[in-house]
Amino acid sequence: MTTMRVIRILLIAVTLAFVAAPAGADDNAAASTFMQSLGSKAIKELTDPAVPQAERQTRFRALLDEHFDMPAIAKFTLGRYWRTATDEQRDEFRKLFEDFIVQSYSARFSEYHGQGFIVTGSNNVEGGTTVVHTKIDMPSAEDVRVDWHLRSAGNSFAIVDIVVEGVSMAVTQRSEFASVIQSRGSVAGLLDALRAKNAQSADSTGGGAQ
Amino acid sequence: MLHSPALRKAALQPRGGLARIHRVAAWAAGLMGLVLLAGCATPPPASDPDALEAYKEANDPLEPMNRYFFELNYAADELLFKPLAGWYYVALPNFAQDGVRNVLRNVHSPVVLANDLFQGETDRAGVTISRFLVNSTMGLGGLFDVASRMGLEYHDEDFGQTLAVHGVGEGPYLMLPLLGPSNPRDAIGRVVDMAFDPLTYIGIFGGVDNIGLMAAVADGMDTRARNLKTLDEIRKGSLDYYATIRSLYRQHRNDEINNGKTPEGGAGPGLTGDSQSAKPLILVPVAQIPAVATPLVPRRDPLAKALPFFIIKEAPGTNPATLEP
Repeated sequence: MTTMRVIRILLIAVTLAFVAAPAGADDNAAASTFMQSLGSKAIKELTDPAVPQAERQTRFRALLDEHFDMPAIAKFTLGRYWRTATDEQRDEFRKLFEDFIVQSYSARFSEYHGQGFIVTGSNNVEGGTTVVHTKIDMPSAEDVRVDWHLRSAGNSFAIVDIVVEGVSMAVTQRSEFASVIQSRGSVAGLLDALRAKNAQSADSTGGGAQ
Repeated sequence: MLHSPALRKAALQPRGGLARIHRVAAWAAGLMGLVLLAGCATPPPASDPDALEAYKEANDPLEPMNRYFFELNYAADELLFKPLAGWYYVALPNFAQDGVRNVLRNVHSPVVLANDLFQGETDRAGVTISRFLVNSTMGLGGLFDVASRMGLEYHDEDFGQTLAVHGVGEGPYLMLPLLGPSNPRDAIGRVVDMAFDPLTYIGIFGGVDNIGLMAAVADGMDTRARNLKTLDEIRKGSLDYYATIRSLYRQHRNDEINNGKTPEGGAGPGLTGDSQSAKPLILVPVAQIPAVATPLVPRRDPLAKALPFFIIKEAPGTNPATLEP
């Protein structure tokens, strides 16, 4: 048995030699603090499975309005078509987009109860954006790496994008919308599709939106 | 193509890996034919710059054919793979599912190691070697991922990523039948990776028919079972499921290519998020891996992480998740 122990210790020693030191940079402590408190608040308010879906949607919408720069996100997701859209189309798109986000994301929160939200660092990137790196500790699966892109807004911050394991929600949404506009031929076609989708989701969740 | 019944019978009863390679080649040739038959999407006219720009950004000239295969894959998934994965998820205890994945990952280590080295990632190559040593011994032939508890976390590498690191572009988007989203670079990478996969040689020289295929099926089943809810939610929450998957695949691959690090300049709104790193080629012989040169600082307290293994209180990654009825 002692031979086994020696082999184990040797293996651990070999192992240790390969492991690198962490980065641990924190460019913007205020942004990290903001994300930590918002993360804890969001988990508490949104992931309780006892909360009815309609109430969860209301809470999620309040968080979106307060902490996300929704006009900027909407503009980004419409991409190059923002330029050619009329003022009425832009206004309607902003509204439909928020409803769409509320409905397609709020159902997911009920499944993520009990997980930890850990800020692992932050760094400032060009264009006045700060990226706060977080790790969502899933008891049931491997940790999920989530980066929050923040811009300063008044005394606080506003979220402009969420990047989950390298996948940007804003970029994904923008390419999906571009594809819909391509196949339907116009921004008006996208608005129709969003209207129909929101109505369909509202039916299936018992009219949670609005 | 096969005229005599004897020939057809011979083709249906593969002897070893060679027959399988023939079948794969025939299948690939058939696919090429389909590509030519299906034709391409018509690019928008130059008079519509927005549409033309969107067409270029989608980088999907075979979109009609890709959408066709996407529908076929979706149907096959609904009818066959999703129900099977559902049964797998329900029937197998979670620690057993983790065991399946751990064994597959461990067997696959040579592929990851080869690509770590091709990319000049010596630290990550060291992690792959250490993981293989630790998990093959203390992890009982790879069944338990003991290495993760020591801070040696799993990472994936493949030849598609290696090509990308050395500046090879992805090429147009491809939806492969049964295999799912890809592109020429990643599809070639898959084939090259077979050369580093020990299962390929066990299949050819060990006379174990279809072992590589069985491993791929098990891997596909396990991956599908882990994404039962996620994919449903993505589909329910999207206006254009095909376009969403296309974007997710590209971004996910870029993230893998950058090894989960933000590429130079960051990727926020305003950037398309398709930036690629172009690292110089540094090939380092295995013997030069700096086992001693790297700082001796563990990422997490390795003994604390290793301790549960010696006590064996719980199976690694026990999964209390529930399944929708």
